[in-house]
Amino acid sequence: MSDTPATLGDDLKRLEEIVRRLEDDELALEQALALFEEGVGRLKAAQERLGQAETRVMQVLNEFAADGSPKVLPLDD
Amino acid sequence: MSNAEEAWSVSKLARTLKRRVEDDFPPTWVKGELVGVKRYPSGHWYFSLRDEMAKVDCTMWKSAAARLKLPLEEGAEVFVLGQPNIWEERTSLRFNVVQVLSASAMGQGAQAVEKIRQALAADGLLDPARKRPLPPFPARIGVVTSTAGAAVRDIITVASRRWPGIELVVANAAVQGTDAPAEIVAALQLVTRVPGIDLVIVGRGGGGKDDLAAFNDDGVCRAIAACPVPVISAVGHEVDVTLADLVADVRAATPSQAAEFALPDRRDVEQRVHVLGSMLMGAAMSLVGSKQDRVARTRERLGGALLERLRRAERRLLNAQGRIAPALARRVERPRMQLARLETRLAPAMHRRIARGRSTMERLAATLDALSPLAVLGRGYAIPRAADGNVLKTRADFVPGAPFTLTVADGTVPARVEDR
Repeated sequence: MSDTPATLGDDLKRLEEIVRRLEDDELALEQALALFEEGVGRLKAAQERLGQAETRVMQVLNEFAADGSPKVLPLDD
Repeated sequence: MSNAEEAWSVSKLARTLKRRVEDDFPPTWVKGELVGVKRYPSGHWYFSLRDEMAKVDCTMWKSAAARLKLPLEEGAEVFVLGQPNIWEERTSLRFNVVQVLSASAMGQGAQAVEKIRQALAADGLLDPARKRPLPPFPARIGVVTSTAGAAVRDIITVASRRWPGIELVVANAAVQGTDAPAEIVAALQLVTRVPGIDLVIVGRGGGGKDDLAAFNDDGVCRAIAACPVPVISAVGHEVDVTLADLVADVRAATPSQAAEFALPDRRDVEQRVHVLGSMLMGAAMSLVGSKQDRVARTRERLGGALLERLRRAERRLLNAQGRIAPALARRVERPRMQLARLETRLAPAMHRRIARGRSTMERLAATLDALSPLAVLGRGYAIPRAADGNVLKTRADFVPGAPFTLTVADGTVPARVEDR
């Protein structure tokens, strides 16, 4: 299972904030560039996330890993 | 009647009556006594339902009759579910029945459910204020249902269409029978222990009323209420609302609908990403446009690291433009409306940005001017100043024999002008 630190929702929220700041705020050049750079990164991340094609379906088992979380197996369709 | 031409035809009367009766008459449970029960060779059933005051003729078509759990017995007290129907040819009304339950079964079941409902209400579990909003972009959804049922397939199908890349974690549980309540409770608790679950769908495909008992179970309802993440109930039954539906954060009529509620539509989100990209570009372009010539002038007067940073920043901007432009071009045909809206929003934003960019640049230039002597001095230049502090810029400023100071990187040096 992949760990996803920033979700698409996070990326979109941050993007909206960046655009708003670039449009509305009085920014120093360096700050504006840094924001823009981050915006491009978030945009790319969002597009990559949207590009994911596979739906993963798993079944949870009544067995537990060392950390106490239940084990999961791919579910055969 | 004032005018014969205003008279209705019989057909119009029949049609109007039919419309008035049938439109907006929801499926309704009616209690009564079965009389005149007849089963025709076609498989359809005809009977009447009556109480002390009234009687209504009923039909039950073969398809509905096939699901009958008990034989229709003359004189039996029953509950029937149906809708009125008018046969235009004779303008006769029949109540079209789709389901029949014995009064005793219905009565006992309904009483038990009502008791549980009251207990849940007393504990505040039916309070609308308890309902939690669904996460806008769930990454991993728990599904509590029977892996053998249709519900799980419906959810997978809809989820894959709306939001490819979603992870579904299914926890198997019987959804009918005596073990169902305990299995649903255990599955709910199990699936919410899987890391990263943002939402749980609990439900089953369509079933008769008797099959829904597990979703009227006190323990199941309390397990749903105690779930650490929002729960969508999806007990596939259009007519009945179960107690689980009342406790869940969101009620869906079917498992497919639950998947629709749970996930955003990928196309909507793509458009949103696209619009955000365009807005980001617009903001950046106005930023670059307003600053470019100023940057060019500043560049001539500055050396070293600062210039390199500006160059890098410019390159990054151009680079980013190049990366985004093809992506935009590919999608131009779809979000035409969005683009129009975007334009109206961007144009003023760009003008504002340009104006603001200018003042920003002026401030920046002032800062750079203030900084530049230090950088220049560091490279071996010196600033000559007269005793009064004025900078000596031309030959004429240097008076032969006059003392002056040289400001260098780490301080000042006294000096004197020799005779020219």
